[in-house]
Amino acid sequence: DFLEEEPYGVLSEEQLTTPENVDGFVTSAYAALGNDHYDIPFSLWPYGNVRSDDAYKGGSGTNDIQVFHFFEVSENIRTDFGELDAFWYNSFVAISRVNKALAALNQIDEVDFPEKSTRIAEMKFLRGHFYFMLKIMYKYVPYVTEDIPVEEYGTISNRALNNDDLWSAIAGDFEAAAQVLPSSQPQVGRADKTAAYAYLAKTRLYQAYEQDENHNVVNINQQRLQQVLDATEQVMGTHQLEEDFAYNFLPGSFENGQEAVFSIQFSDNDGTLHGRLNYSDVLATPQGIGCCDFHKPSQNLVNAYKVDEQGLPLFSNYNESNIDFNSLENYRVDPRLYHTVAIPGLPWKYDQENIYQENWVRSPSTYGYTASLKENVTEDSEHLVNIDPFYGNSKNRIEIRYADVLLMRAEALIELGRQNEALPLINEVRERANQSTTLISSYATNTGISPYLDGENINWTQGVAREALRWERRLELAMEGNRFFDLVRWGIADETLNKYYSEEAEEAVYYEGASFDEGREEYLPIPQAQINFSQDVYVQNTGY
Amino acid sequence: IDVSGNVISEDDQMPLPGVSIQVEGTNEGVITDFDGNYIIENIDPQATLVYSYLGFQTKRVAVNNQTNIDVSLIMDDQQLDDVVVTGYTSQRRTDITGAVSVVDMDELNKQPEPNPIRGLQGRLPGVQITSDGSPSGANTQVVIRGVGTLNNTDPLYVIDGVPTKAGMHELNPNDIESIQVLKDASSASIYGSRASNGVIIVTTKKGKEGRMQVNLNTYVSTSTYANSQEVLNAEQYGRVLWQAQVNDDIDPNSNNLRYQFDWDNNENGVAVLNSIIVPEYLDEEQTLLSADTDWFDEISQTGFAQSYDLSVSNGTEKGNYLFSLGYYDNQGIVKTTEFNRISARMNSSYKLFNDRLEIGENFTFNKTQEIENPGVLDLALKASPIIPVRTADGEGWGGPVGGMNDRQNPVRLLEYNKDNGYEYHRIFGNAYADLEIIENLHLRTNLGIDYSNFYRRSLQRSYKSGYLQNDETAVDIEDWKSLKTTWTNTATYELKIKKHDFNLLAGTEMFRDDYKNINLRREGFILETPEYMYPDAGSGEAYNGGSATSYSLLSFFGKIDYTFDKKYLLSGTIRRDGSSRFGENNRFGTFPAFSAGWRISEEDFIQDNYSFLSDLKLRLGWGQTGNQEIDNNAIYSLYVSDYAGGDPTWETSYGTAYDLSGAGSGLLPSGFRGIQLGNDNLKWETTTQTNVGLDFGFFGYKLFGNIDYYFKETEDILVLPPYLGTIGEGGNRWVNGASMENEGWEFALTYRDKTEGDFSYEISANISTNRNEITYLPEEVQNNYGGDGSEDNILGRPINSMYGYVTDGLFTSEEEVMNSAEQGGKGLGRIRYKDLDGDGVITDDDRTWIGIPHPDFNYGFNITLGYRNFDFTSFWQGVGNVDVINERKFQTDFWSVDDVGSNKGTRLLDAWSPENVNSSVPALTTIDDNAESRFSTYYVENGRYLKLRNLQVGYSLSEELLESMNFTNARLYVSGQNLLMITSSDFTGVDPENAGWGYPQPLTLTLGLNLSL
Repeated sequence: DFLEEEPYGVLSEEQLTTPENVDGFVTSAYAALGNDHYDIPFSLWPYGNVRSDDAYKGGSGTNDIQVFHFFEVSENIRTDFGELDAFWYNSFVAISRVNKALAALNQIDEVDFPEKSTRIAEMKFLRGHFYFMLKIMYKYVPYVTEDIPVEEYGTISNRALNNDDLWSAIAGDFEAAAQVLPSSQPQVGRADKTAAYAYLAKTRLYQAYEQDENHNVVNINQQRLQQVLDATEQVMGTHQLEEDFAYNFLPGSFENGQEAVFSIQFSDNDGTLHGRLNYSDVLATPQGIGCCDFHKPSQNLVNAYKVDEQGLPLFSNYNESNIDFNSLENYRVDPRLYHTVAIPGLPWKYDQENIYQENWVRSPSTYGYTASLKENVTEDSEHLVNIDPFYGNSKNRIEIRYADVLLMRAEALIELGRQNEALPLINEVRERANQSTTLISSYATNTGISPYLDGENINWTQGVAREALRWERRLELAMEGNRFFDLVRWGIADETLNKYYSEEAEEAVYYEGASFDEGREEYLPIPQAQINFSQDVYVQNTGY
Repeated sequence: IDVSGNVISEDDQMPLPGVSIQVEGTNEGVITDFDGNYIIENIDPQATLVYSYLGFQTKRVAVNNQTNIDVSLIMDDQQLDDVVVTGYTSQRRTDITGAVSVVDMDELNKQPEPNPIRGLQGRLPGVQITSDGSPSGANTQVVIRGVGTLNNTDPLYVIDGVPTKAGMHELNPNDIESIQVLKDASSASIYGSRASNGVIIVTTKKGKEGRMQVNLNTYVSTSTYANSQEVLNAEQYGRVLWQAQVNDDIDPNSNNLRYQFDWDNNENGVAVLNSIIVPEYLDEEQTLLSADTDWFDEISQTGFAQSYDLSVSNGTEKGNYLFSLGYYDNQGIVKTTEFNRISARMNSSYKLFNDRLEIGENFTFNKTQEIENPGVLDLALKASPIIPVRTADGEGWGGPVGGMNDRQNPVRLLEYNKDNGYEYHRIFGNAYADLEIIENLHLRTNLGIDYSNFYRRSLQRSYKSGYLQNDETAVDIEDWKSLKTTWTNTATYELKIKKHDFNLLAGTEMFRDDYKNINLRREGFILETPEYMYPDAGSGEAYNGGSATSYSLLSFFGKIDYTFDKKYLLSGTIRRDGSSRFGENNRFGTFPAFSAGWRISEEDFIQDNYSFLSDLKLRLGWGQTGNQEIDNNAIYSLYVSDYAGGDPTWETSYGTAYDLSGAGSGLLPSGFRGIQLGNDNLKWETTTQTNVGLDFGFFGYKLFGNIDYYFKETEDILVLPPYLGTIGEGGNRWVNGASMENEGWEFALTYRDKTEGDFSYEISANISTNRNEITYLPEEVQNNYGGDGSEDNILGRPINSMYGYVTDGLFTSEEEVMNSAEQGGKGLGRIRYKDLDGDGVITDDDRTWIGIPHPDFNYGFNITLGYRNFDFTSFWQGVGNVDVINERKFQTDFWSVDDVGSNKGTRLLDAWSPENVNSSVPALTTIDDNAESRFSTYYVENGRYLKLRNLQVGYSLSEELLESMNFTNARLYVSGQNLLMITSSDFTGVDPENAGWGYPQPLTLTLGLNLSL
């Protein structure tokens, strides 16, 4: 027939749902882990860090990606921001890949495809990962799985599951994955049993802090905390902290190290145009190396690394004066400062040949002189790739590392009133931090912190332990996309941020009009476009 | 002797008033009275009288001692017997019942354009053309009778019977004999499936019977900016930067833009700038001398175009031929941009077997080359004026340093782009045979082809330009081929029975479009020259890709034209089209049309009573047309293997490969991703149009014109709606979604006359209106075209209506700030937004509909004058009130709503301040607390304009001179394009026709020559 035209170079679902081809669905779902962009970042830098007290947005000015500026000052947050819709969409692209993979895997006989059950578990892990991200961003999202026909998606409200049920659904995927996954995978990029347990613990920890409709933490569920302990128990001992904190943030042979529980794998020279790089964080390269000087540690964060003569944090008065970069020798600081924050006059990413200078900074009158180190590499690194006008790198991004697992376990123990059991976990993290001077010893001579010693340098009550734990999380995981979500989990975003805004306005004038609206800005609005597409099946978040 | 007599029209035997009668070779002459009578006294009995009347053929009569000479004049072919090609057949203009506009090619050809379609702008009512000034004219959009679809609005071009969708700039405009536009459904629907945007019929020239003709047409032209963008110079930039920082209480010296300021506060506490200090070198390495660069000057040049066209043609009773060669080259006003075309055409036809069989062909081969603008116009505004074009040694490139924005040096972009043009080869034409089996029954077969080949090799060279640099060298090659074939078979039969005339047509058409492409990239070149940089010479990574697609159409059609007594006209067409793009359920669509005409002027009661009426015809038409402009594979659910995904630099790459092994490099395992969901139920988008028209001519066509009213409704518009995010990728699914209405009036009028001397003139004008309304959208996408996301949406409004905040001037006193609605960031000199919902706070709910991007009306008028051997043309074109978004305002009116730190327009020098309270430009600030970047009426301006598109003076050599030189025609002319523009006073940009960053429409001066042997 003259009018019959077969499409060229494409495939149908039937051609793919075979034992030979089904693994392609799985690979493609993994690929989604890195399919993001600097304004749709799965590293969550604007949402976890800039929106918190840890970081400034950076760039050429407040209008350079203005939406992120609005998040930084908690003003003008609108429901129609394209960035929010794009983040939502990209996350569901990943989830749709997972669901397609699961639907295809379910149709294959295990005899023909022996990896079937492992792959199903991996897919559930990935689905959990993406829903977790959506959950902490938007609070209420529609939960779709491979069992639901696409035609019915429009009927599924983002409130079909309530807050707690949504956590349980995510935890369910991790639980199912953990039970099936092998303790280690032949391919390091795949999720394994401990990764699933670590993520399960993280989910249960968030779930434990029960919120009301206005995002107030109304109860800390002891049973959930116990589940955190159960899950972290499975991870304890399977990994170790790196000898030096720095090793978590170095490329090449340092990647997939002993502390990395689950990492996003990036690559270069891999047959793609520039490489499958960490596109989330390309803007964080300072102007002296490339572009565009975004994601800059705040003065408040820098000050938080100060310690007293005993090597303990200045819990109450750390922010009364600023660390002066020109007289660092006058302060005693936590070594993690030098791994997290680039300071003018000091080597860039441990490279003594290449000093980070004030003129590397793009807009000092607006955003000061720091830069972020963790996601960056040295200027001469073979893993730094020019993607004109940006610079990306192929260093893996650790999604969960063992230090995080220790601190999550410690947090659960403290909230269970078992703070004494938490003490050694926190100290394990602190001791490693203290000895993390291998690469900085030549220029960072004022470092030195101590473990907490109950009755000696601290009175380790539940309240003190809680404060110490929260402090430790901030310093250990700074600029890694967690801080804002931690604050919301603990129910202290409002007080912390409004205090921060008023104090930080001294450093950054644009904070003058900033104010955090409690009961609203803990979460992003559901993208208006999605509400429209759903024909109002979706319900907007409180306050928007 | 005295001669008297009466002059009548041969056609209707009616007396002709106002006929000029001259004694040849003298200045003596008279004019007929109202009854066509004349008397001319005292002339030589052997004289010859010349009877001339506009719209009629001039007649010479020798007196030969007669005293009474009655004359009947024959109507000029150019008027009513004009044959108009209307789709598979042609008709006399008098018999047309649809809305068909015929282009005056003589006037069109006076406008030097690479793309003849651009020259149509303003010449035809109901045909809206928008274009920019790019050297090829490729970027020209045609909208006939309003936007009738959410898809491509290009009309269908039918060139010598071969349909094609675009690319008129690839053909030689000099080869065109005629252009007709079929605007309504009753005339266009014979082209059925692809006719819903209207049809433009192009016929190329043929050899004319008679003697051999040689024509040479040539011109050269130069062009410059008609109006240019004013940007800050180095000193002004410093001043604005300083003021913005001071206004925000920021230390102006803590910038990293290489500016330092000596300033203090005077006794009144007002900041005073004493001097601006810029370092001698911008960089530590001392390669970049600080400059005062005018980047617009640096990217611009005087444009230069040249055109040569030579044709040779001849014709006999047994056949004719035409051969033409054309060369056109146009260097634009943006450096390195250039368009170049070489064309050759061969048209011929032969009659065989007692003229019963005619065979013929029309073929053209064209090669075009173009170097496009790589997007430097906004960069020329944004680049800091202190950046030098070159490094101090003159070898390297200037570029941003420190905190300046990551914008490329536009001069470098142009220089590096000059080897990255494309080459395009196109063979277009048809071959046909036409057999008259019995008298008036013709069988015709026509095979059309449209073959094109696109090739572009882009060099990526290493560079360093300030902190921007890239060492990678690469070559990218893109190559595609497209072959479209159309095979048409028709039978036509003419039948005359007494006063009944019938014309019958039946036919079939098969169309197929095949497309394939390859692209490849190779990296690593040791030499960076265009001679060296071919893929084989590279030593780095290699990439390649390619794809193919095709679709086909199968059509059956028929047409009946019936005329009774030359007064009553009826026409009906039907076409049935099948497309491979639709599923079996709805593969075929049927498109009927009917029309009727009444030549009122042929009625006796008119002829008896209103003899000044030369023509009056009422037309009525109704018909349906279709559209199938969707993906070739829209009916299928598809997956692809997409290893690398798209370029990840500016957008997410949805690749399917992942480094599962953690190796960090090397070939990765890869999978599949869905790209679309199929839809078996897709069907044709259908437009139904009703047309009422009136053609009129008065006083023997001194005054003539037409008026049309139309109403068209498009239903089942094919849309690819955005979809629920949870579906993820591959949720794209074409559906028959929307409905839209267009309604409008068109009016065209010409008046022409000659005075008794040698002065002749013609004034023609046209004006048209269109009203567009979206009447239906599927519920899930109703809020995707603006609006508040719930009740207030695009339904009932014109497509692309603008939605935003309404500004209410600037805050000029503390009192105003205090007493206005709550508005985060409000303050002195800031924009005040209207609190439309009156709740005392400015929120999303204070947005409304603030603009319609469709003009109230489009118009054009042409004045041509002739005096002896001189001719003069002035052509004006304009649009009525229209809302345009002045995108440049984001850069010219604010320091901080976009690209903070980049250079800005000079309007900022007039920014509001306590000392400059009457300014409408908001106060300078570094932080856009007031969110002035939000879309508001501040950016919407009235884009009406009137442009003098063409002004031309020509001089033709006298016949005596021509004869002595053996020429039949020689004409020399000078012309200017876009010499004058009148805009609304509230338009603050450069050109309302192009309020963004498109290629500017230049002012052009042309010198040309037409020669015929």
